[in-house]
Amino acid sequence: MSTNEELSHSLRTFADDCNGNEKLRVMNRDWNRIIHIHADDTQADYTLTSNDGTVVYSEGAPPTCDLRVSATCEILTQVFYGEVSPNEPYNEGTLRVDGSEDDVLRLDFITAMLWEE
Amino acid sequence: MKRVVSVSLGASSGDFTRNMVLNGSSIEVSRVGCNGDMELAAATIEKLDGNVDAIGLGGIDIYLRVGGEQYIIGDGLRLAQHATVSPVVDGSGLKETLERTTVKTMLRNGDVHPGSKVLMVSALDRFGMAEALVDAGCDCKFGDLIFNMKIDYPLTTLDELKDLARKYRSRLLTVPFRMLYPTGSAQNERAGDTKYAHYFHEADIVAGDRHLILRHMPQEMHGKIILTNTTRPETVTELKSAGVRTLVTTTPDLDGVSGGTNLMEAAVVALTEKPLADITREDYVEWCERLSWQGEKHVLN
Repeated sequence: MSTNEELSHSLRTFADDCNGNEKLRVMNRDWNRIIHIHADDTQADYTLTSNDGTVVYSEGAPPTCDLRVSATCEILTQVFYGEVSPNEPYNEGTLRVDGSEDDVLRLDFITAMLWEE
Repeated sequence: MKRVVSVSLGASSGDFTRNMVLNGSSIEVSRVGCNGDMELAAATIEKLDGNVDAIGLGGIDIYLRVGGEQYIIGDGLRLAQHATVSPVVDGSGLKETLERTTVKTMLRNGDVHPGSKVLMVSALDRFGMAEALVDAGCDCKFGDLIFNMKIDYPLTTLDELKDLARKYRSRLLTVPFRMLYPTGSAQNERAGDTKYAHYFHEADIVAGDRHLILRHMPQEMHGKIILTNTTRPETVTELKSAGVRTLVTTTPDLDGVSGGTNLMEAAVVALTEKPLADITREDYVEWCERLSWQGEKHVLN
């Protein structure tokens, strides 16, 4: 059972991984989006902001967002650590990603580029 | 008489039926466009199954063959599985053969030369063409991320393409195909923005899928060479108006229609009378030679 602290750490790790991947930074340089992460069970909220190719982590919900990712704290932590492909819980219906199809596709693409072998 | 049908996710406005004689055998070839409707395509395949010698799947691939690996397109495979008797092909076997040969011919004719700047709008769906262009010494930009995923990042090497296919393989199984490639009426839409126009302006040759080229190309294409697949009269007119110098098609005109590699591959499968699994790349090469199927060059301006 993951805690909010672990989820927070996974999100910071995710942001660091994105920022440390030069290719991804270039790919995302024009993808400026605000992503709201919501843990359904603990009601914790976090924000990832992608701006100019850099991803910034912050605590709390954003006033508005382009994408909203929600699941249990455990699933979110696993997804953002790259331990589980988001495909799996998404297809099972235990991970929700609300936003435009293009943005959902892009977020999924980022995770594939970061973690798939 | 043998009968083969292409079931396409493209628009039904391009439908046709032709009777032709290929290698001494009478064969009816036809196309049924399903306007992007996956359920209609599935139902059409079920209806044809067992009643035709082979089915071609148009507007969608079953497999991407990249660098010796085969990756499954989930939506394509699920459609193909609606047939249990008639073989279903997506044209990828024949495409590989015809497109490599066409590039080699262009090299001989001087339409392609080492250093030619090539924009290939998508390469994962025609890796054979990409390899042939790279082998010819062309300076290639592959637009798979740009035109399929709206990520402004050109790939420039075959290794990058292989890496993309490998990393994205699990997503190919589940991402709805329409999110990666225009189907139905979306095929006739024009992007109408200039964001990616510079990639076209910088290229001597624009290669790859016809729909992606037409969707994104700028209005002015003066002096360019276009290397693409099936081409219809209205497409030729559009390219000519844009100033395209030369159009090279990877497939021949078949009795006034441009059938697409899936339909042609279905015809070969019907003619060989071999089980689909036993048909090799060499068979496709041999049949293309036997039927004199090769790309065609059209000088437009």
